[in-house]
Amino acid sequence: MKRLYDLAFGRSGDKGNIANISVIARSPEAYQEIKGKLTAERVKAYFGELVKGDVVRYELDNIEALNFVLHGALDGGGTRSTRIDPLGKSLAGALLYMPWE
Amino acid sequence: MVYRIGSAQGFYGDDVTKALPMIEGGHVDVVCFEALSELTLAILQKDKLADPSRGYTFDLRIIAHQILPKAFERKIPLISNGGGLNPQAGAEMIRETAAKLGLKGLKIAAISGDDVLARLPALQAVGETLAHIETGEKASEAANQNFVTANVYLGAAPIVEALRNGADMILTGRVADPCLYLAPLIRHYGWAWDDWDKLASGIVVGHLLECTGQVVGGNSLAALDLVDARDLPHLGYPIAHVEADGSFIVSKTPNTLGVINSNTVKEQLLYEIHDPANYITPDVVVDFTTLRLQDMEENQVRVTGVTGKPRPDKLKLNMGRLEGFSRELIFTVGYPEAWRKVEQMKAVIAETWQGLPINRVEFSYLGVNSLFGGMSAVPEDPLEIVLRVIFTANDKDTLKTAVRRMMGNGLSGPAGMSVSGTTVGAEPSTIVGLFPTLVSQECVTPQIEYFEV
Repeated sequence: MKRLYDLAFGRSGDKGNIANISVIARSPEAYQEIKGKLTAERVKAYFGELVKGDVVRYELDNIEALNFVLHGALDGGGTRSTRIDPLGKSLAGALLYMPWE
Repeated sequence: MVYRIGSAQGFYGDDVTKALPMIEGGHVDVVCFEALSELTLAILQKDKLADPSRGYTFDLRIIAHQILPKAFERKIPLISNGGGLNPQAGAEMIRETAAKLGLKGLKIAAISGDDVLARLPALQAVGETLAHIETGEKASEAANQNFVTANVYLGAAPIVEALRNGADMILTGRVADPCLYLAPLIRHYGWAWDDWDKLASGIVVGHLLECTGQVVGGNSLAALDLVDARDLPHLGYPIAHVEADGSFIVSKTPNTLGVINSNTVKEQLLYEIHDPANYITPDVVVDFTTLRLQDMEENQVRVTGVTGKPRPDKLKLNMGRLEGFSRELIFTVGYPEAWRKVEQMKAVIAETWQGLPINRVEFSYLGVNSLFGGMSAVPEDPLEIVLRVIFTANDKDTLKTAVRRMMGNGLSGPAGMSVSGTTVGAEPSTIVGLFPTLVSQECVTPQIEYFEV
């Protein structure tokens, strides 16, 4: 099955209860495709109950990458979170797992 | 001539000795050490409460013993925010160490003024609302007022002053990570405090360097096929060659393992940032959307075109608040009827914890849905299930009682269950919640003290 990972790589991290995920295209064509289809709404729906707040998307045409900011994504963040990954280091992988066409 | 900045620490516990090949090889003009994550200060507060002469990061001892003598010999300044909650005590420890090692003439600067815990009521009295950045809740109206740390993110200015005064080792409390790296550039090139594009370039230098291994193949999908797994503990840490106009080449210590290319740079560029057109620091607001990356020779990436905007009126103030304790237990059950055994376990927990003031109980299955919850498919009739139970309370005793009551049913529980690792004997962990807010620049005055050998 084709996944987002085939078109892009990325990394995630935390600031308090907010996580961010970079999605970095593997080619100019992949960037155009991702930019067209990987909307903030789609990412929000994909994560479901894991992300309580808004998802905001930022575009970086200069490096062919998107940055998603996920509010309320870390169950409080830091040591307040009861998740096994309170810092959201693994969230980029979850997004890259998204089936793609 | 370019100015060369090395980075040898990205967190409390990083391998700071990666500074040695940079210094001994003559590859750098300054080395920076970034030691403080959002939660590190809360950890250091525990040390300081136990002993008032502590509260700084212990990596400083390695820096003082092994790195400082080599750097001092070559007149390479070292800059660290590992002073944490007690930069003066850290500086005194370094002074004593340096004196024993005979480093005559060494000058250490301790920069403080970031710690406003004792001043919170005074700040509120002069009209600082200290509203939570994400929720808007005012600190003064919070139900839980148990703040244990309150540190403002300082900018580069006091470090620049200490460098101008000839400090060989600069030790700070909470200085914003990339500002540690911006400071020596301002000092070296004499950049004006309103030359926004150059200041912004210095921040990007710092942002790319401040997580050490993360730009040279660590924590990287881009470098997965480029770095041998056995090389990961031996990555050479990053170095930036910065021009007077702010453009720079990011590389790593020559003849070391690891990889740096435009993809590893992109990964680090977007690490833990929000709006890339407005990356806010105490000294400048940085726009990452105008810069250009160019792969040069092997392991060299050129960065140009960074732009900046005027600095914000407010500084970020991160407060740590004690919010109770948590405890984690791990049980493994196997075939047959693994899910029914999980239900038995949950029922034992519910029965034995009745009446206890437990705040939260969360269950997850390791290797199945512990990372991504409801996104994961759960197998119907598995050969094994690892059940993780994490629960919280306001006090440690409740958690200890909960564990004892449940374990008392060890022979009355699910068939063939195994209890793993430190599950029985572990101590509860402290929950420190973060309360990020803002404070006006004029309310914060950095102080510098000098310690000389």
